[in-house]
Amino acid sequence: MSNTSINPNKAFMSSSKVQYTEGQFIDGLRTGNNEVLNVLYKKYYNIVLKFIVNNSGTQEAAQDIYQETIIVLYENVQKPGFELNCQLQTYIYSIAKRLWLKQLKKNSKTFLFKDDDENEVVDVTEDMTVYETKEAELEKMNQSLAELGEPCATLIKDFYVQKLSMDEIAEKFGYTNADNAKNQKYKCLQRLKKSFFELLPVEQIERK
Amino acid sequence: MRPIDLFDDYLSGKLSAQDVAEFEARLSSDSTFANAFEQHKTLIDTLNRNEKRNAFKNKLKAIHTSAFGNDAKIISITREESFAKRYGRTVLVAASTAAIVVLSTVAAISPGVKQTNNEITELGLKLKASSDAVVEGIKEGNRLKPLPAPANLEGSAFAFNNKGYIITSSHMVNGADSVFVQNGSLERTLTEVVLIDTKLDIAILKIADAKIVKAWEVPFSFSEKPTDIGEKVYTLGYPRKDVVYGEGSLSSLSGYYNDTTMYQISIPVNPGNSGGPLLNDQGNVIGVIRGKITGAEATGFAIKSNEIFKSIAALTVDSVKTDLLSPPKKQSLKGLKRTEQIKRINPYVFNVLVYKKD
Repeated sequence: MSNTSINPNKAFMSSSKVQYTEGQFIDGLRTGNNEVLNVLYKKYYNIVLKFIVNNSGTQEAAQDIYQETIIVLYENVQKPGFELNCQLQTYIYSIAKRLWLKQLKKNSKTFLFKDDDENEVVDVTEDMTVYETKEAELEKMNQSLAELGEPCATLIKDFYVQKLSMDEIAEKFGYTNADNAKNQKYKCLQRLKKSFFELLPVEQIERK
Repeated sequence: MRPIDLFDDYLSGKLSAQDVAEFEARLSSDSTFANAFEQHKTLIDTLNRNEKRNAFKNKLKAIHTSAFGNDAKIISITREESFAKRYGRTVLVAASTAAIVVLSTVAAISPGVKQTNNEITELGLKLKASSDAVVEGIKEGNRLKPLPAPANLEGSAFAFNNKGYIITSSHMVNGADSVFVQNGSLERTLTEVVLIDTKLDIAILKIADAKIVKAWEVPFSFSEKPTDIGEKVYTLGYPRKDVVYGEGSLSSLSGYYNDTTMYQISIPVNPGNSGGPLLNDQGNVIGVIRGKITGAEATGFAIKSNEIFKSIAALTVDSVKTDLLSPPKKQSLKGLKRTEQIKRINPYVFNVLVYKKD
């Protein structure tokens, strides 16, 4: 599955001396291999950059869209049974195109749009719908955590994400004992819950 | 026990087998309890997914910064030959620190530049050794008729004045072992790198062979007058082995990120166009093609000619400076049809072949 098509952009692409096949890219992403991610990131950036800059975007916008694209790819390959039915380049371009169109539509009613002739597009609707639903939830979570403030946000993350024990948390935050820390965590979580579910439309909770 | 604490203990496996059984029984019988538990789980799941996502985002940002930097970049448009491609060399030119390096054996160099000069001298030696090797290769080649080795980098250049000076982009010749020029009327000829300004991205080469230069009559002159937006401009260059003409207009008086040392032009420039002349309707050189925005079509950048003279004026080496500050004043293109202009310009636009040791 190695990409042997001649791409005029290749000469500009920042690529490491290491070459991976598309299968190796997917496996590396799945297992969280940093080196693979690094090479993959550099390899496909120019395709997205070119597309965004040619469609009334800035370089900063291209960077944002590209990173979001890689996140979509990364999260999709984690799904059991994920199979890539086209070239990786086509998949990345299709996702980036969709993300950028969505943003263009959000910002203005009218815009010019020019497809990149060199790249095919595949239907990524299904992958994107899952991502967009999740994205809305995560956006709300970020917002709720920001509203929660400190030390609550860190305390919650330390317990539920870092899996620190109550004793460790008590020591880190200067509570007299684990019970006090636990009470504090309880109050923080109640506030987070209230804020998160108020922001989240009911429909989305039930869709789970 | 508060429900949340119970949920946490259940989820982290802290409950005894009996408590787990009781907990699960309650989940199936008490729908209010089950809903509260589902909600709790959703919250904690989302929190974890969010943290994972944010960590991944930060990782991508770090990769981006280390690979492409924070600064805006203009991609240089040098044609890379297979050798460079194989090694995946990237030709990204970032706004780098100012460095004007003079390649010359002239002694009158201020002490501050000495160190740089040593470095360069070494490079000069390398250049000689390597070029000898190439010349030898060609001599032998005359018998066996193999083609000369492909250059590592190719681009464009054009005559600067009648004294054999040639201007091109510094990003091509920087670190080169040997630099050759050629075109339809000039066979592959070795040049000497006389000046490199990496900040402005220009380099000046000199054809050492006086016999070649003797007959030179550069038909264009450099325009130092300000140019207007919308003015018709054109370029000649070597994106491939044969000279290619490109035309458009001057889009902006500043380059990427409002860099006032450059013009933005609407000429679709291609790899290999770097170092070519940007000419106006009268056939005056108004700039040197530098690059384009990564990926963007029909958007090029050219270094303004007056900036080039500023750079030369800042030189400390007098003998070279005097030569360079006498650009062709006579220009014989005004009033000529574009096609006629091009015919006369062509012999003074070159294909640059750069050889580098990897």
